[in-house]
Amino acid sequence: MTSFQSTIGDEEGIAEELAEGQREISIAEFFEKNKHMLGFDSGARGLVTAVKEAVDNALDATEEAGVLPDIYIEIEELGDYYRLVIEDNGPGITKEQLPKVFGKLLYGSRFHKREQNRGQQGIGISAAVLYSQLTSGQPAKITSRPKGQSRAQYFELIIDTDTNEPEIQADEETTWDRPHGTRIELEMEANMRARQQLHDYVKHTAVVNPHARLELREPGLDEPLKFERATDELPAETEEIRPHPHGVELGALIKMLEATESYSVSGFLQEEFTRVGKKTADGVIDNFRDVYYGRELSWSPPRAHDDRDVASAVADAVANKGAAATTAFADGVAETVGNNDRVTRSAVAEIVDNTAETVEDETGKTFGGTVRENAVDAAWRAVTGLGGDEDADSGEGGDGADDADASPLVSDAYALVDEATSTRKDDEAVQAMAEALARRFEDLDGDAFRVTRDDLERLVADAAGFVAEQHDATFGETARENVVEAFWSRARTVPDDPPKVKAIGGDRDAAADLLEAMRTTDILAPPTGCLAPITAELVEAGLRKEYDADFYAAATRDADVHGGDPFIVEAGIAYGGEIPAEGSVELLRFANRVPLVYQRGACATTDVIKQIGWRNYGLDQPGGSGMPNGPAVISIHVASTNVPFTSESKDALANVPEIEDEIELAVREAARELKSYLSKRRSMQQRREKQDVLGRILPEMADKVSEVTGRPRPDIDGALARIMNNVSVEREVNGETVTLVVENHSDVNEQLEITDIVSTEPTDLSDGTVVDMDGEWFVQWKPDVPSGDERELTYAVDGDPEFEVSVGGVETEKLTVNA
Amino acid sequence: MTTESDARDELIDLAADFYDQFAAGNIPEMTLPTRTKSNIQYDEESGVWTYGDRTSTRSANSVRGARKLLKAAYTIEFLANQLDDDRSSTLRELYYLSESWDNNEAQFSSQDESNDLVEDLEIVTGVTREDFHMRPEESGAKVMGPLEIREQTNRGDREIHCQLDVGQGGYQIPNNPDTIEFLDNDAEFVLCVETGGMRDRLVENGFDEEHDALVVHLGGQPARATRRLTKRFRDELDLPVVVFTDGDPWSYRIYGSVAYGSIKSAHLSKYLATPEARFIGIQPEDIVEYDLPSDPLSDSDINALESELEDPRFQTDYWEEQIELQLDIGKKSEQQSLASRGLDFVTDTYLPERLGEMGVL
Repeated sequence: MTSFQSTIGDEEGIAEELAEGQREISIAEFFEKNKHMLGFDSGARGLVTAVKEAVDNALDATEEAGVLPDIYIEIEELGDYYRLVIEDNGPGITKEQLPKVFGKLLYGSRFHKREQNRGQQGIGISAAVLYSQLTSGQPAKITSRPKGQSRAQYFELIIDTDTNEPEIQADEETTWDRPHGTRIELEMEANMRARQQLHDYVKHTAVVNPHARLELREPGLDEPLKFERATDELPAETEEIRPHPHGVELGALIKMLEATESYSVSGFLQEEFTRVGKKTADGVIDNFRDVYYGRELSWSPPRAHDDRDVASAVADAVANKGAAATTAFADGVAETVGNNDRVTRSAVAEIVDNTAETVEDETGKTFGGTVRENAVDAAWRAVTGLGGDEDADSGEGGDGADDADASPLVSDAYALVDEATSTRKDDEAVQAMAEALARRFEDLDGDAFRVTRDDLERLVADAAGFVAEQHDATFGETARENVVEAFWSRARTVPDDPPKVKAIGGDRDAAADLLEAMRTTDILAPPTGCLAPITAELVEAGLRKEYDADFYAAATRDADVHGGDPFIVEAGIAYGGEIPAEGSVELLRFANRVPLVYQRGACATTDVIKQIGWRNYGLDQPGGSGMPNGPAVISIHVASTNVPFTSESKDALANVPEIEDEIELAVREAARELKSYLSKRRSMQQRREKQDVLGRILPEMADKVSEVTGRPRPDIDGALARIMNNVSVEREVNGETVTLVVENHSDVNEQLEITDIVSTEPTDLSDGTVVDMDGEWFVQWKPDVPSGDERELTYAVDGDPEFEVSVGGVETEKLTVNA
Repeated sequence: MTTESDARDELIDLAADFYDQFAAGNIPEMTLPTRTKSNIQYDEESGVWTYGDRTSTRSANSVRGARKLLKAAYTIEFLANQLDDDRSSTLRELYYLSESWDNNEAQFSSQDESNDLVEDLEIVTGVTREDFHMRPEESGAKVMGPLEIREQTNRGDREIHCQLDVGQGGYQIPNNPDTIEFLDNDAEFVLCVETGGMRDRLVENGFDEEHDALVVHLGGQPARATRRLTKRFRDELDLPVVVFTDGDPWSYRIYGSVAYGSIKSAHLSKYLATPEARFIGIQPEDIVEYDLPSDPLSDSDINALESELEDPRFQTDYWEEQIELQLDIGKKSEQQSLASRGLDFVTDTYLPERLGEMGVL
């Protein structure tokens, strides 16, 4: 559904058609019949759907206006009814726009707009308006305050269910504390049984829209649920792109053909589609010619030993041009034709034209259209051995007649069939096939042997059937395909201009041919400027905001294409912290920034997650497949100009291989970070455990050793730091000189930040800085200590001061401080 | 060897080493020879097998190592106190005694662990277990033969003739045979016997009296005391020593530990091993020659024989020949299988023949 403040496109799309088809019944009845598809099949779900539609709308509206969304959702219980209030801080709405947006069911669908848009998801806010009206009898109450206006406008809107026309019942000025925005109030029969889904929807919306502030109040909550924004960055604006030739459907193409201002097919393709320039358009048109007109089969011109003579045939066909010009013309045509291996009728016509012009220049004689046509006919008869008077004979002899022997087509066909079939085919069968084909070619309309590939296939199959019947020789599928290919590859695309756009638009078959031509042409993938990924950074920020975890990772893939639509997949993972450890991980699914709440099991994202081997990434996965277990949240966002859903209810992504592959890659990318985090955490944990045990054992050992030897207890911190490959910081105070000895026993270089807080003013610092903070002095060093090395940090201080040291830049597990 | 106060000093010195390592900011550790078959080597001078140059380090670097050293510290304290009080205890008592220590981490989880630790301490300090006043649970080994000795006991010195003053069982070897003084002897040679049954047969048949033999019962893998006493018979009384065992790979190892020293106590080989000891039998060749009743070699027997072929202690022509012969015939026989020729066959025929061949009789 489009956002209500934006201009509604002229194109109404399939939704309009849908509604049109239902004209005979009342809109209420239509709604009743289709409510499962619209997401209103139960009171519980109806409420969630209404919230979803309204919030999606509000988000789009605010974003389009460049405002950070601030959305308020309230659900109030009114006896048997619920009142739903949604407020946004968008640009408001005018009275003129109002009916279009809220009123007319299924109006202004964006189904075919090539832009990433939430609206692709739902059927629309108008459905929610109608649902509320049908169940409660109450109008929708809308308050709007455009930016800069001192007062707000209040409307009540009701839909006439007989005409599907909205009526504004109230229109009065009012006051509203928001400086700008829209508020819609709907009463409906509903229940809160889907409270969990509602909360999920709102929470997940917050995760995937970290720039939005959301607040939800509903009767079951003591405190409103508030979701603060995590970024002030609005999503990148998307640009609408023209459709990609690989991504349109026939109905859409016909509408485009009807609506375009272009006259020629080439112009139409270049104007209306993305990634189509002159060259691509020519490619499409050539393919279109092949489908629409068919190709012309080509034949060998007569050779010297043949009876047929192009020159004399042409000469005979020319009258009154004088002997010299006639001979020059006839010989010129014959020579050029003879220079070709194979010619089509169009090629002969071209040769005749060219030769005529040359001879005209040379002799001053004019070869007019009629003369040329006669010449072409004559030359073509000489090439094919057909035409003119013989028409009556050929084709009527029926299969098996031996008059075809005379036809040069048979020997041509024989050569091709023989070449295309395996050597085991005996001569007789090949000859029979060639004859059968030649007869069928002769029967084609016109004398140019035009045939589409489909027809050619049929024709070959028919001939093969005849040969099988009469000669008991089988031409199998492969053999037939080879024969078709042999003829097709030697046939030539016709030079005819394609029909004009209007003609194609008015002819469903022609349009279908054009669509096929578009699909078979190689065309560059669509541009991706039309997509607005959340970006890995903000995917992570969104998770960070709503899940108190120990670890977050996110990945955004590069754009890819499915069908004609570009898409981008993003994945995020949160792990540990407050996320419940029991049961399987939580999967958040998003399409174009809208959470998918229902039908998780049917979703491609779920399938992908289940087939990943999560044990490799450190998550528990019983049986090695299926949903992993553990304290993790996985979020997947698919942004596309056309998100493929499994059904009209748009709850689950369809299993499109290209998208599944990208989902898997994105999830694995994030999971790899999780793996390295978990393995580091494990090693830190082992280190901690080792530290715990050794921290207990070694002092006891030292005690025992000193007891046995009768000496005082030795200082074991140095030994401990060394054992733990740790960084040790030790203080030595020698008179006025204070020394912090930093020893790095680890196998990597460490960059430390050491702050010593001293109660007396320190002097004579070795490097470092000192800051006086209210009678306490902060001495700070940032030493780089190479592995196995040590640094001494010194200063002088009077009296008997107190010290407090803090060390940063190194994990606490790796740190032994004795200072 | 060492005196008791030396032993105590050595222990305290080891504790002081740990102390110094701590104080220097180093990780406490203890270095020991690697106690494996591949790290024992023949000592030309003494003719026994001792540890080679390879060492392993017990370091507090790891949780395991730190626990070991903690236990070592506690054990050092216990042993030092024991020496102060002039008490003694068994290895098993040490294991149970650790339960009473105030520190759970220092307690032994098995007796193998405490036994190993005591051996570690022996090696590092160069003091024998006996000088720590640690003894095994029971020795069981006995001597019978024409020998008079004086033993220092807790109840004063006792003079004992090992034939005349003892019963059928013979003289029980004390845990520390260095408390024995040899007074008088008429013995011609020492015969170490693996099994109790064969020892009893020899005594019943009066073999010791007839041939003036000192019959030493080994009782399986011989205790240190038995091996020490055997060595003293050889060194101090200049008696030839022969070893009589079953004819299987496990018994050859018993011979090996008497003659060459065991892998686990190679640090004490010079003190325990009797390189002059020779093997009487049962030799694989005897199984063939006397047509003794036999059992087929099991897989583990074969593995043991093959492993002995690689054991540096058995790399002599004699043993290679015997072991290869045994692998060839695939049979093994017990000492008592000689009874198939009659109860007196061993004393009347087998032993005199073998001893004659060996030039002992």
